[in-house]
Amino acid sequence: MAAWAERLAGVRGVLLDISGVLYDSGSGGGTAIAGSVEAVARLKRSPLKVRFCTNESQKSRRELVGLLQRLGFDISEEEVTAPAPATCQILKERGLRPHLLVHDGVRSEFDDINMSNPNCVVIADAGESFSYENMNRAFQVLMELENPVLISLGKGRYYKETSGLMLDVGGYMKALEYACGIEAEVVGKPSPEFFKSALQAIGVEAHQAIMIGDDIVGDVGGAQQCGMRALQVRTGKFRPGDEHHPKVKADGYVNNLAEAVDLLLQHTDK
Amino acid sequence: MAARRALKAVLVDLNGTLHIEDAAVPGAQEALKRLRAASVMVRFVTNTTKESKQDLLERLKKLEFDISEDEIFTSLTAARNLVEQKQVRPMLLVDDRALPDFTGVQTDDPNAVVIGLAPEHFHYQLLNQAFRIIERSVYLMSITRSSYVMDKLEGRLHRLLLDGAPLIAIHKARYYKKKDGLALGPGPFVTALEYATDTKAIVVGKPEKTFFLEALRDTGYAPEEAVMIGDDCRDDVGGAQNTGMLGILVKTGKYRTADEEKINPPPYLTCESFPHAVDHILQHLL
Repeated sequence: MAAWAERLAGVRGVLLDISGVLYDSGSGGGTAIAGSVEAVARLKRSPLKVRFCTNESQKSRRELVGLLQRLGFDISEEEVTAPAPATCQILKERGLRPHLLVHDGVRSEFDDINMSNPNCVVIADAGESFSYENMNRAFQVLMELENPVLISLGKGRYYKETSGLMLDVGGYMKALEYACGIEAEVVGKPSPEFFKSALQAIGVEAHQAIMIGDDIVGDVGGAQQCGMRALQVRTGKFRPGDEHHPKVKADGYVNNLAEAVDLLLQHTDK
Repeated sequence: MAARRALKAVLVDLNGTLHIEDAAVPGAQEALKRLRAASVMVRFVTNTTKESKQDLLERLKKLEFDISEDEIFTSLTAARNLVEQKQVRPMLLVDDRALPDFTGVQTDDPNAVVIGLAPEHFHYQLLNQAFRIIERSVYLMSITRSSYVMDKLEGRLHRLLLDGAPLIAIHKARYYKKKDGLALGPGPFVTALEYATDTKAIVVGKPEKTFFLEALRDTGYAPEEAVMIGDDCRDDVGGAQNTGMLGILVKTGKYRTADEEKINPPPYLTCESFPHAVDHILQHLL
């Protein structure tokens, strides 16, 4: 593999995944990953532009940012690109009135959305709310629509909590797709529009940006599809097999965010 | 059909073919007696995820059908056979009423999941538990596979894990009709686990080829010597014909006009009901 200096040449902006890179979620909120609090702080002191790009859809941005601040991170709501606000924008633009299959924690993001007489279903990482009854209700809403629209906030397979691996929204999205014979629209990584909106927010072109994430397909593969570079961290849901993934090869693998930031500051701050 | 041989075995679907819910198809008991008087073996095959053999038998007895337990082959039997053949220890994500069909199966420290229609079990915690079991098995299988290449591990251990069956689905129906509307079947939840673990479920029910072959196995006859009678054009008739059997579609149960046009090649025969199918067999296939 080429030297780091070559691989990181011309990077002006950094997109950071949150869960599995900054912290591991879990009971009591979760725990910061060793070295990540300092790494974010160093990155923000550097000339590099920084944007947080998450598929978190259980919590509102406010809740998520509050949690990260309590863990010691320097982060504000305005710096976070998340799927719920992006979805609200789409709903308004297209006059869609959603039936929500989401976690209570993210409901507040939809406060100013009209939800009477629904003409689409929005599904997010609902956690415990993924009951048979709730899935069935979403299924019935879709089957009654002439043109069923299913919007999914991300399509992750699973994520890691301190207690172990947890089913993410992707499986449930696939379940509804299979039941209704439809294809969902995904808002969030790895959809290109989502990465682009994060890049727009910091005014950086894809070829000048690098994504740092723990998901080889959603973070690394998705970012590369957009013309960005991408590093995978060996934290969060990382598995050794990821480094030999049949379809996706990261531009580099690093032990954690701290090591990624070391390399970035060493090779881009010229 | 050059390979066709004299008819020796008849497979018969239950619900929709012999009876519809709690009512027998008119003349079906009589027709079954006539069929039994001929020199053919009869097996009863059904896709069920919640009725044990015992439940099925009781209903059939109430309707005065002369059938014994060892003549019934269900998708639950097929799942159990596969569990035993692959020597896996399954978490049973099935309706509690189906559990008697798995009596004696080892379920401690599970390394596989058997999934059927079990709405009361399809909540996040239990599905997540199933997900973790499958994920771990798939992961262990992948490590064993690569270390085999490197270390040339003992072939037997390697095969055992490689052939593992981490996810066994009774069937993959998308949804079914209830009195108060449509309800999700097991298929969507199987699909969710497949996606989350990046692995394919082994489906054991109709219309899978192995289902029909397993149902025939203890008769000792080949598919070319067998006929299947059922009301589901794709799952009964299409599935059986794919294995080399003849398929007879009856216009009872879930049959809807023009169903016979749904498969190619078309059913060997489409007729009014089970007694008509038996008449045809007695007159033309023996």
